[in-house]
Formats: sequence, structure tokens, C-alpha cells
Amino acid sequence: MPPQANVPLPPGYQLDEYRIERQLSLGGFSIVYLAFDKEDTPVAIKEYLPNSLALRSQGDALPSIAEENVATFRYGMKCFFEEGRALAKISHPNVVRVQNFFRANETVYMVMHYERGRTLQEHIQKHKGEIRESFIRAIFARLLNGLREVHTHKLLHLDIKPSNIYLRNDGTPVLIDFGAARQTLSLDTPLLKPMYTPGFAAPEQYNNTRRELLGPWTDIYSVGASMYACMAAAAPQAADQRLERDQLAAAVKRWPEKYSKQLLETVDWCMRLNYLERPQSVFALQKALADKARSVPRPTFLGGLRKRVRDLIK
Amino acid sequence: MKFTIYQESRPGKRPTNEDRIAYSYSRESLLMVVADGMGGHLHGEVAAQIAVQYITEAFQREAHPLLKDPFLFLSGALNNAHHAILDYAADRFLPEAPRTTCVACIVQDSIAYWAHAGDSRLYAIRGGRVLGVTRDHSRVQRMVEDGLITAEAAVHHPARNRIFSCLGGTNAPQVDFSKKTPLMTGDVILLCTDGVWGPLPSDVIPRAMSTGNVLQATPALLNQAEARGGENADNLSMIAIRWEDNYAEDTIGSVSTKTMPIDSFTTQMEAFAKARKGTQPLPNLSDEDIERAIQEINAAIRKYSK
Ligand SMILES: Nc1ncnc2c1ncn2[C@@H]1O[C@H](COP(=O)(O)OP(=O)(O)OP(=O)(O)O)[C@@H](O)[C@H]1O
Ligand SMILES: [Mg+2]
Repeated sequence: MPPQANVPLPPGYQLDEYRIERQLSLGGFSIVYLAFDKEDTPVAIKEYLPNSLALRSQGDALPSIAEENVATFRYGMKCFFEEGRALAKISHPNVVRVQNFFRANETVYMVMHYERGRTLQEHIQKHKGEIRESFIRAIFARLLNGLREVHTHKLLHLDIKPSNIYLRNDGTPVLIDFGAARQTLSLDTPLLKPMYTPGFAAPEQYNNTRRELLGPWTDIYSVGASMYACMAAAAPQAADQRLERDQLAAAVKRWPEKYSKQLLETVDWCMRLNYLERPQSVFALQKALADKARSVPRPTFLGGLRKRVRDLIK
Repeated sequence: MKFTIYQESRPGKRPTNEDRIAYSYSRESLLMVVADGMGGHLHGEVAAQIAVQYITEAFQREAHPLLKDPFLFLSGALNNAHHAILDYAADRFLPEAPRTTCVACIVQDSIAYWAHAGDSRLYAIRGGRVLGVTRDHSRVQRMVEDGLITAEAAVHHPARNRIFSCLGGTNAPQVDFSKKTPLMTGDVILLCTDGVWGPLPSDVIPRAMSTGNVLQATPALLNQAEARGGENADNLSMIAIRWEDNYAEDTIGSVSTKTMPIDSFTTQMEAFAKARKGTQPLPNLSDEDIERAIQEINAAIRKYSK
């Protein structure tokens, strides 16, 4: 059995009309490269290469795919196309722009506008525990503009988390990695199954059979969890665990000295386990983030509520 | 459940690789299994393949998402794999059933459980120290443990490859089980064949894993073992995980290890599954379908630009 790490294309490699500069990241499903086009403009290129199915060895461009995996590999390609389809329709300053899609090396590639900066995750690590309220409000208000555009196109992101929020050097955020679009297709395909990052996925995402429960509120949970992570410098307790035994300390209780009550309540509001109690649209959340004076709806503690949520999820 | 995993198998200097390794996981349970098909016996790699495949499939049937009783599972899976090998031999009228070692480990609820037959090993390592290790079913190795011969002498002992328990073969396997071993963040569990531990001095493996960076340490250890194995290096295989505390609020911190994007690995790793029976065939995507999809996407890109 082969190792599971894939070998990236080497620097200088001529890929279609692009020249590979270096690898930016290597994930289980794809590799992202920095490359230059004919005009020497930098681009980010995402290569479809799930390491459970296709492995490239040192010195090769073509991955080797075991015969029994060919069908699954092709099927996963279809899922990769979903990411392209989703992004193609969206042209917004806070959503990464896809520029081209092409086929080479027996796989497929998505070319994106290259953004200079770093992920919110890296930012959180560099500034552990010293992220200010104004920063959180500013970043997320803008990011939500992008997310609103996504939802307007009847798409859900479903994988919002600090490592998929990119901060340009000018401080503006960009939503990247629409890879979760593939989830709709790959649920029954074990080799392509995504693994959620614990802590950021909403409780209803753990229920594969009730897709109709997913909605804007699902992405909103992840936005809340990402804001929580800015404050905690760590991921919050995972939603499936919270359903069993909720140990997540409310933001309002944890940081009353550091952040305004209104912001903390907004975070807690997004992270309610019952999706009906969260902001139901990005717009509703944006209003809360923009207006410090605005009060946040209180949870309705109906008897047996927790149980009802659990019934919905299970 | 969060962990980083790396597995690799190499032929060494041998013409065939008779080692087989695999891992598989559900949302809450992880299986790792290593088998070393025995050369000299007919179809060594077949026995290893049957064992690994059988145990993996049993796991996928039973871990929903937790196994009810991991030890019971291991006991059933190893014994049934043994019988599956015997059946294979009987079906083909083989004069002798093929044989393989086997070590398998389950981790769930941050507790490790393992079982083995033969001389493929499991090491549980914490901070560079061995928490637990399997005892080989090898007389020579037992003599070393009892101080009857030195480790040096064992390397050259004529019976060093002889083991008294394995899957397949005429006698029922003697399977040894570990204790329930609770794991902490940073603990390493490593499974390997004798091609790895054989050529290495005993302290090398735990020390190599003291950084916990299994993505780098595993291939490095294999390089070292292969080099020391020399002209006749045996097949070498290894699976290693670094356990990452799952529910505690460490998710972001654990990614800060600057070595590799552990985050993207652990959260996106795909389960290994051999082509399984009973799964429905996937709709086929032809070359034309691919071309058409690409054209559609590029058309949409142009349409929605600016
Ligand atoms: N357009 C871009 N400009 C600059 N860097 C990018 C861009 N897109 C991706 N990256 C870099 O690559 C990393 C991984 O990208 P992305 O999140 O899309 O892939 P992934 O998580 O590996 O995806 P997948 O889940 O599809 O395997 C990002 O964290 C970022 O550092
Ligand atoms: Mg990502």
C-alpha cells in the first residue's frame, strides 16, 4: 500500500499555459499551487488529486490510479466540478474568483485569482488572545457580504472556518475553499467522504439523511464558531459533542471584560444548537454586527428543547 | 476524533512485497492493521491480503460509528481472518495454508486496544518513551527478553524468523491482547513489520517518534531501516498515528506545528477501503462528460466575470 502523501508538481513545471512556482498547500483532496500565467500574473491553481485514489510519485506528472479506483476517481472529479460551478457564478470582492478550468495530467485544475495574505487561522495563531472587537466586527461584516452573495445564488458554503477565511494584506477578507459543495454528491462514497473540522460544522451537518435541515443558518453557525475561535484562540467544542453534553462556555460568560456584551451575545446567538434560534439570514446577522446598540434575541428556553433538537438531528 | 496518520510499505531489496497494511475509520473509531505474509510459505502475500482485507471489512460492517466491544471485535476478526485463509487454501487444494503475522489496533473514545499474532509489532509511545509494546511470538525474541542471549546474537540467530503464532497455518493462532490504553494528545501509536524493527537498535523507534511528527518521522525511520537492512533488506511497512485530543479546545493549537499542514491532513484524510463488495456502482463519467463540464464552467466564468 502506498504512502498517503501526494507529491506536488515541481517548481518550474509548465502546466498548460501556467508555470508552477511552488506548492501552497497539500490537502487530502487537492493540492494548491502558486503559478504564473503568460503575462506573469500570479494565480492560485487547485489540482484535483484525492490521495486515497490517485498518487503521484516523485518525478512523475501523471498520478497512478489503481484500476479498481478509476470509477471513484472520476466520480470525485464530478464533485470537484461542483466547486468550480459554484464559484464561477459568483463575482464578489469577498469571494475568491475562479478564472479558468482545464484538464491535464489525467486530472482537472481550477485556476483562481491569487490573493496575497494569510488565513484567519494563521492570524489567530500569531495574535493569540489579543484579537480586538473592532477587528472581529470589521472582518466578519465584510465576509458576510460575500456569504450573502453565495446564499443569493442558492448555494451554501458548508465549510466556513478560520482556515478557509483568507485575509488579504490590506485587511479585507476573502472566502475560499468551496470544496464542501462536493458533499452533496459524495455522501455515500467512503473514499471521497469529507471529514468536517470538529468545532466549526453545525449540528445539522452531522445528520447525513436530513439535508433539508441545512440552510443559511448552517453557515451562520460556522461564522459564529469562527468568531468564537478568534476570542478563544482555539476551536470551540464540536457540535456533535455539544448535543451529547454541551460544555461550551457561552461567550458572554467567558469574556465579559474583553468584548462588548452585544458582540458576545451575537456570537452565542449564532452558535445555538437549535437552528431555529440562530439568525435566519446573513442579513439579520450583519445588522447585529453593524449596530452595537442593537439587542440580541434571547433564547426561548422551552421545556425539553434540547431533546427536540436531538430528535431533529438523529 | 482527531489524529494525524501516515502509512507506507516498501519492498526493500526483495522482488515482491508480502506486507499488507491498511487503516479505516468511522467518525468515532479507527482501525489500523499490519500483516507480514510469510515468505517460504506459498502465497505469503495472499495470506496477508486476506487478513488485512477481512479485518478492514469486518470493521466497516461493525463500527457504526463505535465498536461495541473493541477486544471482542479484534478477537473475532483475527480468528475469522485465520479461518478465511484456511478456506482459501482448502478451496484451491493448496498443500499448505499460507501464513501471515498480524497486528491490529482500534482507537475509540481516546482509548487504544490492540491484538497480535507473530512478530509484527505495535509501539505505544509517549514523549519518546515506550508506553507499551507487543511481545513477539518468537522463541528467539523471548530468549533475548529472558536474558539468555544478547540482542546482538539474536540478529544472527538461525531461528530468528521463526514464530510460534500466526494466522493461517496448521495451528490455531495464539492471539495476545493489550490492556485498555488511554491516549493523550501527542501520543504515538506505531505498527510495523520486522523489516522495520529488525535492523534498528531498540531505542531508535521511540526516539524517532519523540517529536510526534509522524508525517516526517515515519518515512525517515523507513529510510534508516532500509539502509541498515543492506543488500538483503526485507519488506518494510509501517503505520503511525499521532493522537490529537479531540474534544478539548486544542484544534487550532495543534495545527501550529510548523512542519506540515496537519490540519488539512487530519480533517481531510480519506478512509482506506479496498474495492468493496456490495457498494453500488458509481455513475460513469466519460471523457465527453468531463469536457462538457469544463466548457460549462468556463462559459459561466466568462458570463459572470465583472
Ligand atoms: N486564491 C488563493 N490565493 C492564495 N492562496 C490560496 C488561494 N486559494 C487557496 N490558497 C491557499 O491554499 C490553502 C488551501 O486552499 P483550500 O482551502 O482551497 O484547499 P484545501 O483546504 O486543501 O481544500 P480541499 O478541502 O478542497 O482539499 C489555503 O489555506 C491558502 O493558504
Ligand atoms: Mg481549506
